[in-house]
Amino acid sequence: MSASTALSLEEVRSHLASMVGDEHANLRGDGIHAAPANILQIAEVLRFAHKNDLSVAPAGGGTKAGWGNRVPARIRLSTKRLTSLIEHSWQDMTCTVEAGSTWATMQAELARHSQMVALDPLWPDRATVGGIAAVNDSGALRLKYGGLRDLILGMTLVLADGTIARTGGKVVKNVAGYDLHKLMTGSFGTLGVIAEVNFRLHPMEEHAGTWSATASDVAQFESPLRALLDSQIAPSCVQVRVKREKCAVDIRIAAVPHCLDEQADRLEKVFESFHLAVSTEEVWQARQELFDRDYAVILKVSLLPAEICSILSELQQQAVSDRLDIHAVAQANGLVTVAFGAATDEVIASVEYLRTRARNSGGSVVALQMPDELRGRLDVWNCDFNALPLMREIKRRFDTKQILNPGRFVGNI
Amino acid sequence: MLSASHIAELRAAVGEDGLITGRSQLQTYECDGLTNFRALPGAVVLPRSAAEVQAVVRVCARHKIPFVSRGAGTGLSGGALPAEGGVVISLARMNRILEVDIANRYVIVEPGVINAHVTQRVAPDGYFYAPDPSSQSVCTIGGNVAENSGGAHCLKYGFTVTHTLALDVVLPNGDLVTLGSRALDAPGYDLTGVFVGSEGTLGVATRITLRIVKQPEVVQTLLAAFHSPQAAGQTVSDIIAAGMLPSALEIMDTLSIEAAEAAVHAHYPMCGGLLLVELDGPSTEVEILMHEVRAISQKNGATEIRLAQSDEERMLVWKGRKAAFAAMGRISPNYIVQDGVIPRTALPRVLAEIAGMAADVNLRVANVFHAGDGNLHPLVLYDRAIEGQEEIALDLSYRILHLCVDNGGSITGEHGVGKEKQEALGYMFAEPDLATMQLVRCAFDPENIANPDKIFPRPRLCADRPGPYRPHPLETAGVAEIF
Repeated sequence: MSASTALSLEEVRSHLASMVGDEHANLRGDGIHAAPANILQIAEVLRFAHKNDLSVAPAGGGTKAGWGNRVPARIRLSTKRLTSLIEHSWQDMTCTVEAGSTWATMQAELARHSQMVALDPLWPDRATVGGIAAVNDSGALRLKYGGLRDLILGMTLVLADGTIARTGGKVVKNVAGYDLHKLMTGSFGTLGVIAEVNFRLHPMEEHAGTWSATASDVAQFESPLRALLDSQIAPSCVQVRVKREKCAVDIRIAAVPHCLDEQADRLEKVFESFHLAVSTEEVWQARQELFDRDYAVILKVSLLPAEICSILSELQQQAVSDRLDIHAVAQANGLVTVAFGAATDEVIASVEYLRTRARNSGGSVVALQMPDELRGRLDVWNCDFNALPLMREIKRRFDTKQILNPGRFVGNI
Repeated sequence: MLSASHIAELRAAVGEDGLITGRSQLQTYECDGLTNFRALPGAVVLPRSAAEVQAVVRVCARHKIPFVSRGAGTGLSGGALPAEGGVVISLARMNRILEVDIANRYVIVEPGVINAHVTQRVAPDGYFYAPDPSSQSVCTIGGNVAENSGGAHCLKYGFTVTHTLALDVVLPNGDLVTLGSRALDAPGYDLTGVFVGSEGTLGVATRITLRIVKQPEVVQTLLAAFHSPQAAGQTVSDIIAAGMLPSALEIMDTLSIEAAEAAVHAHYPMCGGLLLVELDGPSTEVEILMHEVRAISQKNGATEIRLAQSDEERMLVWKGRKAAFAAMGRISPNYIVQDGVIPRTALPRVLAEIAGMAADVNLRVANVFHAGDGNLHPLVLYDRAIEGQEEIALDLSYRILHLCVDNGGSITGEHGVGKEKQEALGYMFAEPDLATMQLVRCAFDPENIANPDKIFPRPRLCADRPGPYRPHPLETAGVAEIF
């Protein structure tokens, strides 16, 4: 990837200013921040970048800009001016929203009809629809409602060469053509810029309760958790919070009022050897709190659901013996956020151990956050799988000049 | 098209007993469930393992021979229609369930495993495999993956893609790759999500990891009879607006009821629009919600409301519904099944238009639909023996698809584009959209040998670079309606 030598930075800015307006094209450091007003301007900016071999980093709220490999980009393409909820067909329970809308703004509009996109991503107040889709973020609600693969019905994209393309549709059931929105979801902005997203909606959970129980060793939760997920209780969210010497389990159940009591009774039976107490909704902020505190290293770990407790228990024991400051939040579906207070050799060893354990059961460990001095010593993605050449070929076809987030993704895609 | 040396190479790949070249036997494979498209393959191979599939595909790749993979051949859009003179890869012998992991709620199967067998295998543990296409007693998981099959219960539980965690795929160059993983969110592009529903154009799935779901505590099925499908449709909208997510919401019109009754004797009430509502979940919740469904049905003028009283009765209700397509043979010599989707709220308008369009050409259209997600199955009834009527019927069926697109919907909800709806895909998507899909196609299959000439409106070659920038119709239209 070579940056253009033909154009000076000021010349690039001036070109971009002619497309998006002078006040929306600004020189910052050694790049230009450009904020197009609409999809046509996004296409125009990308066509210009493509023609001139300028690297582009699409950006929403910038909340996850540090995730993935570091890539210097000449143009930071912000979606912050594309914020409309274009359509809310509440009777069809679908909506179309521009990528730069924050998650919370969109949800507030949908809530007027007691509907929601059933996903609880990080930093809803600042994170945008496009950014959340680009990293495929998901929270505890995924247990009940699925992830973005299940919630996104279609998209409007702009490819690296400025081509505007639509994929999917606005109806829940649709198998016409390839589902490019699935390819875009989680692609870290390496294949195109997401401009609009169509979602399927769910009714808001009007009657819900959260219950929590604590223990010293997370292994103690293994059997009740298994019983819970194998029971007729249908929780919306189940998470386990783990620290070095204590842990807790949280369960959220939504149901019609009368049934909620009955489900709570059943839940108590499953956790009868614990003290199960009514808890607050705030416990569901636990994952985000890991990022908001000053943890040095944060991992996204994917495990088989039945292995969460045993693997986290091993991690607890390591933390005790090596005096590690560690904090983890695990969703019952197997997705775990693990945070370490320091970036010591013991932590690196611990990450490598987790990687081995995860890989043995088809899981993975991605280092979402780490101090700069660790980059190089700790691989962000740590992936070596046989589909990588195919992924590279897809990237090559979509982005012939490799201008979109070059090197940020798996295998330096 | 296949030479003697090609045949010899295929024989070496799968053995003598895995190769079919006799003309009469080949004719068994000349179509799928869409029988008006037929083509004779040059050879059919029946591999027993991923390695044998690889060996076959390598032969095809070496000589640029088109191949089409095939499960049970129940597809309704011609997806498994052979390439004339090419190779058909039947996955019928790869029918083992390889692994069952109840604690982690997944099952690993070979592509030839029959859909219903997955549920049969895990039912004793209290689980089921959710996607339930009407052909589930014979159709295969490999075919379901190719088509992203749905079924009546996908309203609540989602489609095949919702339940596919990982795939081993033989790429069109013969390489074997793993897409996705048993654990969620494997790093990299979600190629599992892209492969499911790609109709055999990106490779051959040889090993499939499926999610299984806990069986609900109770299931209740209610029949409500209305004067018209529109009244039944309004009931559906009201049920959804009340915040409920039934496991199934189905509507049948008079013609469909008549046909299903003749075939299965499901004891349906004879009416203008029959609504089937199925709720599942914790027993108390289902009781309360079913009460609400009754009230909504009454408010919309239901003339009869009946709750299936036993599992047997419930099964019979579903048997009638699932037999509805085949049952059309009882009331019409020939019929075309379509698979359009519309936003649920467009239902009354679209049904009225379909009725008008049918009346204009003197044909009958029966309607069976997954009303909860707006998936219509209009059945255009005609008689091939009447000169010119088949063409009129085909034309009507395509115009119905255009009507669905015009109303903000899709040309296919679960049957796939296949051979049948190639041109209609061009009505639904603009040229830049199709060209972008083609980028995926070319990354997987640059030689265009995997199920070629399906899905896309015209043959395309991967050597065709997209060329100069082509504006999206959104742009030429000034996108005034969007912003």
